[in-house]
Amino acid sequence: MFRFFSACRKESLILVRDLAGLIILFIMPMIMVVILALVQEQGWTSITKDPSIPVLLVDEDQDTLGAKIENGLRTSNIFKICKAIDGKKLTREIAKEKVGKGEYNIGVIIPKGSTGIIRHKVQVMVTQIVSGIMMPVDNPFLDIQSTDSINILVYFDPGIKGTFKYAFMATMKEYSMFIESSMIFSSFNTELKKMFPQYKPPKMDYKETVYFSEIFPAGKDELAIPSTTQHNVPAWALFAMFFIVIPMSSSMIKEREEGSMIRIYTMPVSYLTIFMSKVAVYAVVCVIQFILMMLAGRFLLPLAGIAPLTIGSNYLGILLMMIVSSMAALGFAIAVGTIARTHQQAAAFGSVSVVVLTALGGLWVPVYLMPQVMRDIATWSPLNWAHVGFIDLFLRQATIMDIFPQLLKLLVFFAITISIALFYRRVKSPLNN
Amino acid sequence: MPGNIIIEIRELVKIYKGSDEPAIKGITLDINRGEIFGLLGPNGAGKTTTISILCGLFNPTKGSARIDGMDIRSNHDAIKRIIGVVPQDVALYPTLTAWENLTFFGNMYGLRGRILREKIAEGFSVFGLEKHADKKISNCSGGIKRRVNLIAGLLHDPKVIFLDEPTVGIDVQSRVVILDYLNELNRKGTTVIYTSHYMEEAEKLCTRVAIIDRGNVISMGNPRELLAEHPEFKDLENIFLHLTGKDLRD
Repeated sequence: MFRFFSACRKESLILVRDLAGLIILFIMPMIMVVILALVQEQGWTSITKDPSIPVLLVDEDQDTLGAKIENGLRTSNIFKICKAIDGKKLTREIAKEKVGKGEYNIGVIIPKGSTGIIRHKVQVMVTQIVSGIMMPVDNPFLDIQSTDSINILVYFDPGIKGTFKYAFMATMKEYSMFIESSMIFSSFNTELKKMFPQYKPPKMDYKETVYFSEIFPAGKDELAIPSTTQHNVPAWALFAMFFIVIPMSSSMIKEREEGSMIRIYTMPVSYLTIFMSKVAVYAVVCVIQFILMMLAGRFLLPLAGIAPLTIGSNYLGILLMMIVSSMAALGFAIAVGTIARTHQQAAAFGSVSVVVLTALGGLWVPVYLMPQVMRDIATWSPLNWAHVGFIDLFLRQATIMDIFPQLLKLLVFFAITISIALFYRRVKSPLNN
Repeated sequence: MPGNIIIEIRELVKIYKGSDEPAIKGITLDINRGEIFGLLGPNGAGKTTTISILCGLFNPTKGSARIDGMDIRSNHDAIKRIIGVVPQDVALYPTLTAWENLTFFGNMYGLRGRILREKIAEGFSVFGLEKHADKKISNCSGGIKRRVNLIAGLLHDPKVIFLDEPTVGIDVQSRVVILDYLNELNRKGTTVIYTSHYMEEAEKLCTRVAIIDRGNVISMGNPRELLAEHPEFKDLENIFLHLTGKDLRD
């Protein structure tokens, strides 16, 4: 066992002597977490506080639909309505050209007579209903079908993000449905008034009756609100943790290149002892790195006006999750460091594979936004297991039993990667060359 | 006198993966206890391959070798405890001090505490390194690195020491200290197996030498015996050139 501790001491000394490397290991991930959280959270906050996405609106309708859509976009606090450029009134040709050139992201054309078409369609429908009540048999009105429709044109900059496009279209559809419902309500009143002159329409506007309350059940009394901080801080902390593959595999390759590993091979000590000492020392680095990033999420982000990171109260669970996630990251690093022959191989494969595992794991785009195939693949990423574990601990007040599946999967991943390294070492050992 | 043989090599062949030409082609030789045995040969002759097989770094393709009666294929750990290896290149951690390097390697041999400290101190004293103990290896001269590299292989008092060109690229003073120490160790009963390109050095130091070329032992014996066999040559270097030719090697 003292060989293991001696190897740990050697690893620690090598790490501590590389002060610049150590600073990079601890400071860079913190900077990354803060910047990414700022970009994602503050970006959206600034949009909502200060509407800045310009939308070219060509209202050829000049009636209720156009007015309602314009009002809806204006009150959304996200979009800035432009109806003229440089004092020149917008036309659909200009809007198409400007969006096509990428000068504007969105252009909306509300065709002439749109409100009239809705009004006519609603009128036909209401007349059918009312006459159906009055004359249920042999009523020629009942066979009339209105095929009128309106085609609102929405031009999108080809470079715009798909999710943003869908959100915008959903908002537009919501406005048009609301307008259609209002018109049905008002037409009913008009028709009823015609039939029953004594009918007095109620003095109320059409109002929504279904409302949605956002509740985030945490399982305990404390209510944790999901935010980009809650997603981003553990996500990028894990990303940085897995990036340990670069310094660690580099240290292993350096050891081989310097010849010290050849000397070790001639000594009565197992390869397992040597690389487990690396795992132990680098695991401490990973845990410190993770804690620093949590502290940044808790104390630095609020300085920039972002909600602080909530970590729940299961500190033992968090510690376990940190250690086991570190082990998974280090197992991967050991495998890469054993298999890669050069620094270039390790750096290229290590960095790209971590980025891929991060993307697949739902750390960039949440898993629930992915197509089903990608969702299935995501469940195989160790970064996803770790991220799910931390989210459970931070937001759902999970117990150790709750995160046990994640812990187990990460431990199995560690065991598999270490076994691959040992197997490769045995097969590709100079002994067999 | 089989009991006197510490290394027994029989028909040893090594063909590296991806190579058609064997690096060594059936070497057979015995090395006696307490000998300083020189493996001499031009570049690519098979010296380092032979030593690497004996140290447990490579498995032979064919043939067998025993060290102190133990087969090298099945007794890796036991053999590693009785051998010391001084690699051709300096195999130390550049960011650790000389003392820290030796402490780590001593620990890997199972040494610790006072015994290890005394062994390191003795090594420093013999090689005049006391004032360099706390210097990082990266800040040491080539000669100091070579001497620390040598001590690292000797800390555990091995029965057999393998030295792969230990005096390459160092000044005369360092070379003399190293060779004197190897003689001193040999007097205490340690078997030294040594490769070198310096014929004069081998002639003075070795009790026996084997000249290897293109994977074969082409001549073996006491340097004086070899000179007697080839009276037309005045020294080992000329015998070596006569046996191996003057063609440049890879």
